[in-house]
Amino acid sequence: MIEFVNVTKKYDHDVCAMDNVNIRIEKGEFAFLVGPSGSGKSTFLKLMIKEEEPTSGKILIDGKDITKLKKKDIPFLRRKIGFVFQDFRLLYDRTVEENIIFALRIIEATEKDIKAQLKSVLQMVGLVGKEKYYPNQLSGGEQQRVALARALATKPPILIADEPTGNLDPKTAEEIFKTLLEINARGTTILVVTHAKDIVNELNKRVIALDHGKVIKDDARGVY
Amino acid sequence: MTTNTYLIKEGYDNLNKHGSKTISTMLIICATMLILGIFIIILQNVNSNVETLRLEQGLQAFIEDKLTDEDIAYIEDQIRLIDGVSEIDYMDKSEAFEDAKNQFKDQDYFLEGLENLDIFPASFIVKFTNIEEAEKITAEVEKIEGIYKVKYNASTIDAVISISKVANGFLLSVGIVLLIVSIFIISNTIKLAVYSNKREIFIMRYIGATNSFIVKPFIVEGAIMGVISALISFIIISIVYVYVYVALNTNFAMGIFRFIPYSTIWYQILIAYVVLGLFIGIFGSAISLKKYLKV
Repeated sequence: MIEFVNVTKKYDHDVCAMDNVNIRIEKGEFAFLVGPSGSGKSTFLKLMIKEEEPTSGKILIDGKDITKLKKKDIPFLRRKIGFVFQDFRLLYDRTVEENIIFALRIIEATEKDIKAQLKSVLQMVGLVGKEKYYPNQLSGGEQQRVALARALATKPPILIADEPTGNLDPKTAEEIFKTLLEINARGTTILVVTHAKDIVNELNKRVIALDHGKVIKDDARGVY
Repeated sequence: MTTNTYLIKEGYDNLNKHGSKTISTMLIICATMLILGIFIIILQNVNSNVETLRLEQGLQAFIEDKLTDEDIAYIEDQIRLIDGVSEIDYMDKSEAFEDAKNQFKDQDYFLEGLENLDIFPASFIVKFTNIEEAEKITAEVEKIEGIYKVKYNASTIDAVISISKVANGFLLSVGIVLLIVSIFIISNTIKLAVYSNKREIFIMRYIGATNSFIVKPFIVEGAIMGVISALISFIIISIVYVYVYVALNTNFAMGIFRFIPYSTIWYQILIAYVVLGLFIGIFGSAISLKKYLKV
């Protein structure tokens, strides 16, 4: 599903953010990407959605080498990857429902699909009844659920969560991870970048650790 | 709702969202369009009058006294053979007297009692197909036997033509400057709109929005601003023109200058304004989007 083959990324002045990285994440897998600041996690994500280009190596998403992708096809690559941010990135002048529909409009979904998907993702993240609320009327955990619902609305086969619980208290964080596991159980491949040591250790999933742009650990059932 | 309807609606919503900025932009566009419109109307009127002048002006060839009818007919044939002559009118002595009376209007009392003296010479009024050939034709008419004088008002016509050329050039350059100003103003407004929607655009990119999906609402926003400004300008300029037309035509004589009736030019102005508004709006937003979205 996601494959990095000998990927190296050098920025100006020879700063090496990714040093000959080889990673393969299978379809339906749940993996954590951990490491200190500057270890290359963000670069990894940016390379996946083609916001950055590797200096050398191949990146395969769904079997296709995205380094060869044309500029005009980038939006269609991104539709395969749902993205959730630490700071939620919601539109605060739109309701929960409108935030989710926003994503569906972007992928040019039909009215029928919009209705069906809206109902389905609201159920999936447990926000039924909050459709007409504005993000500011919701708690942090609920806002992250809206972000999750928006990312899932377009039915992406891959979901990336960048520090999804960084702004949340431990209890709420745990609930968000519970939801992520449920989503994974439905077949979505999930990659989570996190510093939440306790949760990583508790869930006993695959852990890929980066440092100075290199993979220093990749355990199928690992700890932080 | 189809995607395109949605994008048009988004563009319209953007206008409301940036309310005061939208209104001030449209006011400035209206102002530049009005100035442009006034210039265009003046230009059209000047050009139409020059054109009339071109067609109406001709030369007057006075013929010697005591010519027979045959001589006169022969002279007429000779004139007719000259290239570039479009029309010939013969004015006999009594018609010449009437013409003089008309020219003096209120002061024709000093012509009283002169009716039967035949003091005004008979002449041919010759009109040209092309005013530029006037001098050549004049020279040829002068050579015809039986003609003792040719009157051709070269300096007036030349002056009018050169004034109209200068006016055309001046208005064209002012027009271009105003057009650039309008495009710049719209592009600046759209630039601010893009900036205030930065967060939204960022999210759209991550979700997988195509460039055209991101850009269309801004283009719609620019186009709506351009067209609304065009329509407002059109209404204002129509009212002003009709008012000025009525006032000038009824309150004092305009001499040889004739205003074009509004009924014959309103649709030209409307079309020109709407096309201009769309162009300013779309082009203005497109250049700022190209720069800020790296499309």
